[in-house]
Amino acid sequence: MRFRNYNFDFIGKSKILIIISLVAIIAGIAGYFIQGGFNLGIDFLGGSLIEVEFTRDVDFAEVRSVMNDIGFGNAVLQRTESDRFIIRTTPIDEETKNEMLNSLNEKIGTTGPPLQDRNVAPGFGKQITRYAFMAVGIGIVGILIYIWIRFEFRFGAAAILALVHDVLVTLGVYAILSREINTSTIAAILTIIGYSINDTIVVFDRIRENTPKAGKLGYIRVVNDSINVTLSRSINTSLTTLIPIILLLILGTTALKDFALALTVGIVVGTYSSMFIASPIVVAWNNRFPKYKK
Amino acid sequence: MRNKKVHITIIAIFIAIISISLYYILKEPINLGLDLKGGTQIILKPTERGGEEVTTQSLDKAMLIIMDRIDKLGISEPLVTKDLSNNIVIQLPGVKDPDKAKEIIGKTAQLEFRLVTGTFISIKNQNWDTLKFDYEKGELVIDPDAEKVLLVDDINALVSGNLYEIDGELLSDPESEEMLLVKYSGKDNQETDVEGSSTGDGSESNVDINIDPEKVIGKIIYKPETRELLLVDYNDESETGEILVDSRNDAATLVGPVLLTGDKLAKVSAGYDTYGEIRVTLSFKDEGVEIFKEITSENIGRNLAIVLDEEIKSAPYIKVAITDGDAEITGIDSIEEAKNIELVLQTGALPVNLQIEESSTVGPTLGMDSLNKGLRAGIIGFILIIVFMLFYYKGLGIYSALGLIIYIIIFWGVMSGIDAALTLPGIAGIILTIGIAVDANVIIFERIKEEILKAKSPRIAIGYGFKNALRTIVDSNVTTLITAAALFRFGTGPIKGFAVTLSLGVVISMVISLLFTRSLIFLMSGISRINTPGFLGVRRRSGE
Repeated sequence: MRFRNYNFDFIGKSKILIIISLVAIIAGIAGYFIQGGFNLGIDFLGGSLIEVEFTRDVDFAEVRSVMNDIGFGNAVLQRTESDRFIIRTTPIDEETKNEMLNSLNEKIGTTGPPLQDRNVAPGFGKQITRYAFMAVGIGIVGILIYIWIRFEFRFGAAAILALVHDVLVTLGVYAILSREINTSTIAAILTIIGYSINDTIVVFDRIRENTPKAGKLGYIRVVNDSINVTLSRSINTSLTTLIPIILLLILGTTALKDFALALTVGIVVGTYSSMFIASPIVVAWNNRFPKYKK
Repeated sequence: MRNKKVHITIIAIFIAIISISLYYILKEPINLGLDLKGGTQIILKPTERGGEEVTTQSLDKAMLIIMDRIDKLGISEPLVTKDLSNNIVIQLPGVKDPDKAKEIIGKTAQLEFRLVTGTFISIKNQNWDTLKFDYEKGELVIDPDAEKVLLVDDINALVSGNLYEIDGELLSDPESEEMLLVKYSGKDNQETDVEGSSTGDGSESNVDINIDPEKVIGKIIYKPETRELLLVDYNDESETGEILVDSRNDAATLVGPVLLTGDKLAKVSAGYDTYGEIRVTLSFKDEGVEIFKEITSENIGRNLAIVLDEEIKSAPYIKVAITDGDAEITGIDSIEEAKNIELVLQTGALPVNLQIEESSTVGPTLGMDSLNKGLRAGIIGFILIIVFMLFYYKGLGIYSALGLIIYIIIFWGVMSGIDAALTLPGIAGIILTIGIAVDANVIIFERIKEEILKAKSPRIAIGYGFKNALRTIVDSNVTTLITAAALFRFGTGPIKGFAVTLSLGVVISMVISLLFTRSLIFLMSGISRINTPGFLGVRRRSGE
């Protein structure tokens, strides 16, 4: 693992790398339409969610048929353990819910009260959505301003484009897999934004440091060298961050897995974009509006 | 040598911090969020009541009343807060019966005493039936085939075959389609009605023939914002009565203005009377006793409705003037319900109406499961990271392993010390920060290796490595803190927990690597045997 000895031509290959990213984003958009939109959780749509534990292992088909029999054919089922199911329905009142739980207990057998029981009024989802957008928006603006102050505006703009890329790819994965999007996913996406920026800044910092050499070597070379010299750091940090997150993805409970999936995708994509999206944009910007020697 | 003293001082300070952290870890167990230890969270949205807007004062008062109710329910360690949109957020750890808590906490508990004017019945094929009131649509449910809708003064008398009077008839104004309550004049009215429609004189005169303005008692209007179906004066629309549902027979009942409210109550007690019937006894304060005496003495022979949250609970017949100021709610189905009424009336009426926006109950099993699985992933991840760092950075890896252990201790200590709640997303936050904590080390070590490759002596390389890495580490961590701040500002409960662990982790790990690890490496670099390029993970080859 001695990357330092290599000298990859990242900038020269940037066209191919950007095409790969575009393909990933387009695949996500296609997935969005094929799956009929995002699989939004009750946080956004409103509704009821109940997780029940059965006294024995049950398969999907059995729970589905029982749910159909007792008049909840529309419920969305998710198997979280061999004996546990999450049941998502439109908003239902206490009485209907208790009837459903009683029927499940009679027909299959449940261990007691539900493991979790959540109800969100349909209108409340709008508030949650609004705050999610505000959090993401304010986070992005804050980062842009900080990078602008510490670096140059072009770096800020490139970093924002890179993280928009990361968010789009991550959401694309959620669309393709039809994984549920809930408030935890939004928090994970914000974390990805933070992480991706963190990564991008390490590369930018090197470019900033090496820029005085641009007069001699040219800006393209400076950027390319900066990516190469930070390469082992980028990969090592991604690895050390990914190790526990992937473990969480394997060992965690459903809710933790939801979180870990977004983070895993985001960290991989974030590392990729810092090197292959953000930096080429800085170069392209300089080609267009030369400030340093190409 | 002066430098050496500074480094030793820094290490000493860290040893002190570690000791304090260990003390907190041992003294106070970490505070778990509801999603981990199990419990119920309820978010209530306040809406105006009786035309009065929701103010900070009314909201604060509502929160105090809610605290009082939770207290009376015997739930320990509740947390009642407001969120960004002024919703009331209630967190109840380990509640056995969340449905009951939900029902009681959000109950407005507005108690009113109002005289019963009468009950609506519809007549069809010589039979009568009471009318229902559809709260959602805000209208009375009238059978389209009904011959007429009448207001009778005493429904019990009608049922038992005693004397009753018909006080009015509900008619629809053919022109404006307004619901009007007019005086009932027996068959005459009916005949006029028939004549009117058969002559078909045109719409203008139709009104006059159908409904004599002299006889109009008032019109019925619905106020959707307060969900009130009111009887108002035909001309100036001032309120003269309200249609409520009688909880005992579901009948739409017309009552007069509010004469007395629950704030004049002194004592409420639920129990059984001498006949073994469930009842809630209401005693008034002096002021209330006076008013109650006045009401009962002036209205002997009428029924006084006891209205709780827009529903008639009972409507006792006033036989004599009541001077001692006791009233009773009877006809309650169960002693539990009586106890609930007692509790909400004791704590008083909420100044706002509350609507449940979100409720979530997590059982203790699921939370513990997440905690255990999260911890297991964290521990294995922690070990794998240390193995990786030792393998890749050799001797320097020892520093990062030490730094990571200290990070976990201080992080845990701070979480216990500031009493921050660890939530489920918070676990993910901790695991993420373990990775971030190593990042600072990675950046520094890479810089040191670079400097060594430039053929600098290890000691000087370490100095340059830290110096060059400082700016990178600060810049990259500040951006993470900016996103954490945005999450903290706009996130709800568990997400806030995530923002807290993330920012704590970033700050603590940054301080450890820039101060502790730095001083330790500098002090150790004085020992020449462990200070070779090989120990620092670099094999220098000739020509490099």
